[in-house]
Order: sequence, then C-alpha cells, then structure tokens
Amino acid sequence: MRDLAELAVELALRMGADYAEARFHDDKANFYVLRNGIPEMAGFERSRGVGIRVLVEGSMGFTSLNRPDKSLLELRVREAVSMARASARTRKKPISFSEEKAEEASWEARAKEPYEDVPVEEKMELLMDLEKMLTDRGEVGVQVPFRLLQLIESTTERYFVNSEGAKISCRVPRMEFVALTTAFEPGKGTEQDMVQEGASRGWEFVRELEPLELIRERIRALARVLKEGASPPKGTIDIVLGSEVVGLMVHESCGHPYEADRIMGREAAQAGESFVSVDMLGQRIGTEVVTVVDDPTLEGSYGYYLYDDEGVKARRRYLIKDGIINEFLHNRETAAALGVSSNAAARASGFDREPIVRMANTFMLPGDHEFEELLEDIKLGVFIKTFGEWNIDDRRFNMRFIGREAYLIEKGEIKGPVRRPVLEITTPGFYGSIDALDKNLAFSAATCGKGDPVQGVPVWLGGPNVRMRNVRLGGL
Amino acid sequence: MEARELAEMALREALGLGADEVAVEAVMRTSRQVRFANNEITVVKTWDSLELGVYLAKGRKVVGTFLSNVDPEAVRSAIRDLMSLLAVMRERPDYAPLPEGPFAYRAIPGLYDRGLAELGEKAVDLVESAINKALEAGGRRAAGTLAFGEEEITLLTSRGVEAEHRRTRAELVVRALADGESAGVGTTCGTRLKDLDPELAGEEAGRFARLSLNPEPLEPGRYDVVFGRPAAAVFFDIVAGMTSAFYVDSGLSCFMGKLGQKVASDIVSIHDDATLEAGLGSRPFDDEGLPTARKAIIERGVLKTYLHNSITAKRHNTTSTANAGWVVPRPWNVVVEAGDRADEELVGGVEHGLFVNNITYVRFQDYAKGDFSAVIRDGVFLIEGGELKKGVKGLRLSDNVLNILSSVRALSKEARQVFHWWMEWGSPAVVTPLVLAEKVGFTVPTK
Repeated sequence: MRDLAELAVELALRMGADYAEARFHDDKANFYVLRNGIPEMAGFERSRGVGIRVLVEGSMGFTSLNRPDKSLLELRVREAVSMARASARTRKKPISFSEEKAEEASWEARAKEPYEDVPVEEKMELLMDLEKMLTDRGEVGVQVPFRLLQLIESTTERYFVNSEGAKISCRVPRMEFVALTTAFEPGKGTEQDMVQEGASRGWEFVRELEPLELIRERIRALARVLKEGASPPKGTIDIVLGSEVVGLMVHESCGHPYEADRIMGREAAQAGESFVSVDMLGQRIGTEVVTVVDDPTLEGSYGYYLYDDEGVKARRRYLIKDGIINEFLHNRETAAALGVSSNAAARASGFDREPIVRMANTFMLPGDHEFEELLEDIKLGVFIKTFGEWNIDDRRFNMRFIGREAYLIEKGEIKGPVRRPVLEITTPGFYGSIDALDKNLAFSAATCGKGDPVQGVPVWLGGPNVRMRNVRLGGL
Repeated sequence: MEARELAEMALREALGLGADEVAVEAVMRTSRQVRFANNEITVVKTWDSLELGVYLAKGRKVVGTFLSNVDPEAVRSAIRDLMSLLAVMRERPDYAPLPEGPFAYRAIPGLYDRGLAELGEKAVDLVESAINKALEAGGRRAAGTLAFGEEEITLLTSRGVEAEHRRTRAELVVRALADGESAGVGTTCGTRLKDLDPELAGEEAGRFARLSLNPEPLEPGRYDVVFGRPAAAVFFDIVAGMTSAFYVDSGLSCFMGKLGQKVASDIVSIHDDATLEAGLGSRPFDDEGLPTARKAIIERGVLKTYLHNSITAKRHNTTSTANAGWVVPRPWNVVVEAGDRADEELVGGVEHGLFVNNITYVRFQDYAKGDFSAVIRDGVFLIEGGELKKGVKGLRLSDNVLNILSSVRALSKEARQVFHWWMEWGSPAVVTPLVLAEKVGFTVPTK
C-alpha cells in the first residue's frame, strides 16, 4: 500500500490540490489482560491503511481508507478535494503551511529484546505472579479485592510522502504496562491506584521496570494511607509534589495550553481553547526556577519520534524558560498563521486521523537540590507523591489533583500518611509558587487524548520533586 | 472482498483450524465530518473502512482480534495467529458458550435514511446555518463538528447466528463563544436528516454564550442545581456504563453489591433501549447475536440489573441482557424517564442555586465509591428567585454519583436524544430531560 500513498499524492495534485500528503500505516498491537486472576480475552489488533490530506483553495480535506483498491482510492481522493473546495467559501483566511525542508529519511526505535521473541507464556506468567502477590495480604499488607493487569505491546510502521518531495519511513515498537488495583480495609473503605508505564523499547523495558517490586511498594503505601491516613492540614502550608504529580501538572497546564491550535481556537468545540494568547509570549508565568520542555527526541521514551507526521524534523521545545512563556507547540498550519517555523508537533494516532498539534514527552527540568533539602525548612506541609482524581478546565487555568500517596511534613521531616489532600489551584498560582526543585527527574507514561474523533497518542510526563510555598489545600 | 464474503471466509477458516466457537463481525462504514472553528470550516473528512472482529474459543479459552487489515491473506494469517495464541492461553473458569441461534430479529424503525447517507456537500450548508444562528443569538465565534455517515454490520457465529443491520447517523455540536470565558453549547443528533435541527443547536449555543458574558466567581459549597441536557447526558452515561458487569467486577463501579437496592431517588427511572425508534445506539442484535430489548436499569430508584454478555452473566448466575461487547457489556440507548414540568418551571422552582449546562473531564478518585469531580462549562449560571441571574466562573463539580442520583428532585417533561463527545462510558446516546438535584458540591481553586 506504500504505492497507494504515492499514487494518492499524484491523484490529488492532478485533481487540483495545491498540496497533498499521504501516510501509510501498518500498525500492530497485542493485549494480555488478567482481571482478578481470570485471563480476559487476549488478542491483537492489526491496522493497515492510508490517510490523505489535501489543501485546495485554502481549505483542508482529509480522507482515509483501509482497502488497497485503486478505484476506491481515486473516489475518496476526489471527494476530499471536492469537499475541501466546497468548504472554501466559508474561509475568510486561506489555510497555508509553513515552509519546511522536504526531508528524506528513515528512522526507528530499537528494541534490545523484541517482544515478538518473548513467549506468550512468559508474559502471562508475569501477570499471574503479580496476581499471586496482590492476593497475598502478607506481601502487600492489605486486601486487594480488584486487580486489573494489562501488558500491551505494539509496533507502528509508517511511510510519509508529500507533494513537496518528502519521503520518511519509520518503525517504533512500544511496551506498556498498566495496573489498576483496589485496596479495601474494613471500616476504612477503599482506595484505588493506577500505574501506567511505557516506553518505545522492547521486552527489556518490562524486565528493568521490575513490575513486582513496583506494584508491591505502591500497594504497601496505599495500605498505609488507607489504614493510617489522617486528614490533611487546614490553612496555608508548603507542599512538595512528587515527579508523577509534577509530570501530569505540566502536561495539563503547560503542554496543552501552549498547543497553538488551541490558542488559535481550532479545538474550541471539544477540548477547548487556552488562557494563553499569542501576545503572552515573553511574559512571566512562573518563578525563575521553572523551565518546562517538550522533547520527542528522548531515546526510548514513550512519546519518541524523530520526524513528525507532517515530515518535519523533531527537536526539543522550551515551552517555559526560566519562568517565561517561551514557545508554543506548532504544526505547519499554526506555524504559518503565526509566521514561524513548525517545531514538529504534528502527530496522528493512526492512518485514519489527521495530524494535529500534540505533545510528546513533556517535563519540568530538574534543579540541583537533594530531596531532603526540599523538606528541611518546611514547618508544616504535605508531600503529595502520587495522584488519583484530576482535571483541568477547557482553558487550562483551573486545575485539581487529589493526592493518592501523601504524607504530612513536620519540621522538615516526612511523618505519617495523609488521606486525599486536594490541590485545587490556578495555573499561574502553581508556577508562581514553586521555589525549589530536586535533581531526581522521573517519567511516567500516559495516553494523551485530543481531537474529534479522539486521538490517543503515547506520551511521557515528567519532572523532579518540586516545592511550592504558601498554598492552601482545597475541597469542601 | 465485501463484508459478508469476508466474514464467511473468516468463520470457515477458524472452524477449519479447530476452534470450538467463532463469532465474526464485519463492519463496512463510510463516515464524514465537517469541523469548524472561528466561524469557518477547518477541515472536511471522509473515512472509508471495512473492519473485522473475530472471537475464538476453544477448550474454555477465549481470544480475539480486530482487523482493519482485511486483505484475505492477512485475515487468514491473523486467524492462524489467534489459534496459536489460544494454544498457550489459560482456561477461563467463568467461560460460557456463545448463545445458540438462529434468532429472529425485530426490525427497528427509522434507523436508515438515504437522504442522510447521500448528504455530501450539502453538509456545508447545514454547518453554515448553525454558525449563522449561533452568531445571531449572541455568540461571536462558533466552533463545532457535524459528523454523519452510514454503516452495515454483519454478524456470523458458529452457533447459527446470521444477522445484518444497516444504519445512518448524524451528530452536530455547536459551541459558541462570546468571549474567552463565556461559552455556550447546543447539540442535535439523529439517524435521519429530518432529526437534525442545526439552527436550534446554533441558537442554544449562541444564547448560552451571550447569557454567560461577564461571569463572576461564586463561593464554594452545596447548591441546588439544574443540569442541562449535555450535562445530564454525561452523568447518565456514567450511571449506565457503571452497570456494565465488567466494570462492576473490576472495582470500577459504585453499583457493586447494590442489585435490588435503592440507589437513586424515587423519580429516577433509566432504561437501556436498543429498540428505540431512530435511536443512535439502536440495533436488533448484540455482538453475540442475541436479540436486543428494552430493559430497566434503574426503576423508581431501585437498581434492577447489570448489563451482561454471556460470560459476565454466567459469573453472576443469570442470563445475558443482550448487551455484549465480547469483553465489556455496554448500553445501547440510555433513556431517562421524563418528569412533568416544563424546562422553565424546573429553573423557576429554584430559589437559590445553579444551572449547569455542560460537564466534561469527569475523573474519579474512587470508582468503587463513586467519588468524582468534573469541569462545568458552556452555560453556568446562578439561579436567584427562579431566574438565571448571572454567569458564574471558577467552580468545579465535586461530588459522588450515588449522592447525586439520590438527590434528584425533579425532571423536566421534554426528553431529547443527546450525543456528547465526552460520553466515555460507552453509551452511543442518552435521551434525557433537564434534571434538578439538591445540595450538589462545588469547589474552587485556592490560589
């Protein structure tokens, strides 16, 4: 079907498109699921097809098909061109793309131990070992009545071609591990935990992750919160946030509102817009210790890529630099609208989705403190290590995160667990309260959703442990 | 190879390789979408697909695949791989066979409309009329999506099921903005062109946006709240989704252990109705081939059933409710029983409270308890003396599913079918009136 991608571009130009691109995908994913010890339907998905995008008279058309049929391809390309042309009358300003080098490249993420070479039995055995541990109260310190454990392995192979001469091939294998658990203690109720880890690597990622150790520690901590967790303190306190919380917060409150398509209103109907406007570039949003980047080029990362789905070469983007709003995330459409170059943030989750502005691996750069130094002068505070419930409004200004594993800090020391501290804060309130970062950069994986129809793309979220001064916990 | 031929080939191959049980579902779909923002069309999309789902069981083991690579050789290869996977999988103690067919299916009226299937470029006209109405009603910018298309589902099983179903559908969402913080939303959907009312959706969006201008902060606390239809649809999608036995058995439902118990106030009755005329989620058979039916999920506040496929039903010592999903049973059309008051009367009966038109970004701290919070938007107002007094900003809905269900005090008499992009618990559509609930929790940021 690679030939069909090239043919699609030719056909579109012949039919009057000013620009055309086509992506051929051959994607595979295998799923292994154990729910309360029962193997749910294991299986796989195999997805293959071509997605085509055209610009016609300043309007955009997209079409996709999964059958390798030339006459069907011609029909659908013709329709994409004619529908784009029909909608041109609604546009006051034509869509154009930023000038970019037409790249020819081939790249891949390498797996040291390809998952295809690891027997299925070994994967199911890992899940069964986890199940055995989770049902042993002596091991984890609490009843865990519900266990949903998943291993997902996938490979995407893509071929991109456009009417400017770009030709890019890639192959990315990924591994993902997800555990959703419910702990129960009579008289105390339930607490739930979710772990999601992933990387653009092979089975070696799962081995190095040591899922048994990871989950054992998480559930033991959850058990303590459930059994001993005290109410969080009232009044103004200092808060230390763990890497996992910081990662999600920067993804939600820096990554998303810096997506130029949101800023310019293209996603207004569903995901929403942004509290950030174009004229805020160069303005201070946080303290000087805050630098947030988005970097697709981290080798092995879950959001790894070297060229985006518009064929633009990827690089690190500094979204907030030393507390100043520095750069937005762009695809070629938003870059042209603002008179800049694309910084390669165009991603499509599959052949049947248009590339839109997305994050890759978003994280706060670490500082130079030791973790203990963050705590040492805190008289009264809370350390929120992991999160449960979270959300943020559609302008990415008003957010809420509830701690899962959290502890009281008294006189510079971590004390007993605290149950469900609510951090409900504005975005400038968050970045403006940070005064110190430790040196321990860590990442977790997520599937970020955006667009209509929704597109889930793999991302990493990360950061160090950070200290916030003078914050009041929220909730009713 | 067309859908039926492909499905028959897959069934034959799997049985030939020794599977005990096979179900094959082929879906042929053509769908289109016109997206718009800032009063102009941003992209027009067309999807053309033929996809195949295959379920195989042998010796109490179950595997499956979803294929959009439908090259016949690729399908044969996938089935061989499924059989290899079966060989190394473990047995399911809760295994249940597929239902023994064949079955007779009742035709459901109003599910296919040629006019909608062939709408083509006329979709641009519908979008323009929605945008114009949104601007006339007070919006300054309109954004949204018109999605429409047709699909044909073919289901074959080794237990004698041969079922086919064809349908069309369309959904239009319009979000109008009067400024950055003041927005409104309107929706319209259906299976026939005549069900769509783009002007109504545009007018609602524009009106809510205009009324939301200059919103003011409000104290956190508990308020009586009237939920608009988009908000109610998102909430009842959660309620119906959480009755799926898969979620109940995974610790992801606050209805666990509550069958036959009071879970909502007396005036709350919710049905799952796959036979609803012109329902977006209507279909004559489920993914195992069982004929679908209308059933009460909650009746006068009492939880009547979970939603089952054959395997979850066996686990619960009951029979399937014809809501398969091979893995996760799901609702078809969620129908909330309407009340007896006009929309205006519902708002008019609130002395001091809130109107919340839309909720999104629902996230749970504890699914088993039902504790959650959600972003409120697209028309949030303070109600004083029975009237929408002013727009409100900064609040977040923070409460519990069971609390809200139990605090429902009134429902309006006009139930409308709502499609909502946030309905992530699996309901294709929710038919709902406005809902008045008492003492619902709202929080605000502290810094």
